[in-house]
Amino acid sequence: MIYLFQVLNGIGLGMLYFLLAVGLSVIFGLLQFVNFAHGAFYLLGAYLTYDLTMRGFSFWAAMPLATLIVAGIAALIEAVLLHRIYKLPHTFHILVTVGLALVVQELVIIAWGPLGGSVPAPDGLQGVVILGDFIYPQYRLFTIGFTAVLAGLLWWLLEGTRLGAIVRGGSESPANMALLGYNTLRINTAVFGFGAGLAGLAGALAAPIRGVEPFMGIEALSVAFVVVVIGGMGSYTGALVAGLLVGVVQSVMTTLWPEGARLMIYVGMALVIALMPRGLLGRA
Amino acid sequence: MNPLDKPYAQLALALLTVLVLPLFLKSGILATEILIFAMVVAACNLLLGYTGLLSFGQGIFFGIGTYVAGICLTRWSVPVPLVLAGAAVLGAATATLVGWLSIRRQGVYFVMLTLAFSQLFYFVAYTFSGVTGGDNGLLGVPRPSVGGTALNSPWSYYTFVAVCFVAVFALLVMVTQSTFGRTLLAIRENEGRAAAIGFPTKLFKLEAFAISGAVTAFGGALHAMLIGVAPLSNIEYHTSELILIMTIIGGSSSLFGSVLGAGFYLLLADALSTVWPRWLLLLGLVLVTVALFLQRGLWGLVERGYDLVFRRERAPETPAEEH
Repeated sequence: MIYLFQVLNGIGLGMLYFLLAVGLSVIFGLLQFVNFAHGAFYLLGAYLTYDLTMRGFSFWAAMPLATLIVAGIAALIEAVLLHRIYKLPHTFHILVTVGLALVVQELVIIAWGPLGGSVPAPDGLQGVVILGDFIYPQYRLFTIGFTAVLAGLLWWLLEGTRLGAIVRGGSESPANMALLGYNTLRINTAVFGFGAGLAGLAGALAAPIRGVEPFMGIEALSVAFVVVVIGGMGSYTGALVAGLLVGVVQSVMTTLWPEGARLMIYVGMALVIALMPRGLLGRA
Repeated sequence: MNPLDKPYAQLALALLTVLVLPLFLKSGILATEILIFAMVVAACNLLLGYTGLLSFGQGIFFGIGTYVAGICLTRWSVPVPLVLAGAAVLGAATATLVGWLSIRRQGVYFVMLTLAFSQLFYFVAYTFSGVTGGDNGLLGVPRPSVGGTALNSPWSYYTFVAVCFVAVFALLVMVTQSTFGRTLLAIRENEGRAAAIGFPTKLFKLEAFAISGAVTAFGGALHAMLIGVAPLSNIEYHTSELILIMTIIGGSSSLFGSVLGAGFYLLLADALSTVWPRWLLLLGLVLVTVALFLQRGLWGLVERGYDLVFRRERAPETPAEEH
């Protein structure tokens, strides 16, 4: 029973990792841009949700609002600053986004203090689900269902719509997209905002589960990297499989070996890289 | 080539730094820290500037050196030269392992892997707290003693570190000037071509990793003896980030640029952190500024200044052609 509990926890956690990794992957695919500020957008999403619920907003308003604000801020940063540095070597992408992540982290500490806080489960989902002798928090069950629907929508958006075709076309050849008459600058801004918004949404959904604290962004960034490395960059299915795998491994290990649970994520990654350098489903 | 980039000029600048720091700084501890990080950052530069490998995992090796010193000196009182040698060997071995796994992927994946490995080693240190002291670290790491007297005053330990620094810096200059170092540059410029000529490029990259890891762990051991603790923070993500930031700020085209990067960062940190605890906000803005306007780092600034003063006939805007 405890394992079923942990596997469910792991699936919920893994879906959040998936959202983070897909955002990172989409940004990298289209812009060839290494975004070390991705964790900072996750952090911001979580803190905005915390702040809005503290101000009396319902979680159901706070979550989409936080996501939109993060996406807006990210799009603004892209339009003002980041598009200037795409042509520079990766070193400078990393320098700028590490700098941005520091700025966001410090602003969060200035605005909300260094200690963090907790976000209550939203109205209507504060109870537990009881099935025989199995008890599970409603909110966690909701995140699994919600993110599953979201994952389906994302897949449809990226693979089945004209918008997705534009994004994929842009990642194949930006020059051809520009020749076809698309405003690649505006597409870049929108996609960056979209990817960052996914990170913000993951933060907003994570807030009632794990609370908020100023350094949660770094942990999220490195887990997103692990997922992308294991699953293969630019692969939607890879991000989904790897995200779920990492989440479930981490959760189940919490029961078997609590101190080493997070260590096992990285040991698992090292094993995958040693055996399959391209990742599970990677193309490049 | 700018005369300042010549090996003897680099070495002279390093010697000058060692002599000048005590004249301008009141704190021997800060001066010692600058020298320790200067060699660690130069080792990172061997990977970034000379091999084209952007390693986000230098904190791993720094932390390992720290723990070697912490464990050997607090539990078994191993002689210091042996500790430093042991740190360097273990650092080289770990760097070879991490390098071997990471260079299986290239470009951005390589960077992400090194970052993930830095998290792996952080959690190893955090999880096995019986060995590493976990969150508390290992307390009471003694200073080394020379001729029977412990180097307990800041400036006497500074002298010890200064000798180490000059030796390590000279070693790194020699490495970059050697055929080996030239081959690394060839790999950075065009790995496919270097491989086609017949160089085993992966082996060369691993060797660069090993040297870099040895120096970094050596610096980590010196750092533990400086602050008297082997803290968990030395193996954290932040240490890796710190070393990389110093390297890029200093400029990756010269080893002495790394000394400038370490000095600039630590002096800035020292000045600002007392004034404003949230000074990292300003650091973030500095990083953005460097990427936009100072892509050759502080060393690029020095080169431009040199050209302006000594070679007026040349237009200062055209940077000296590399190689």
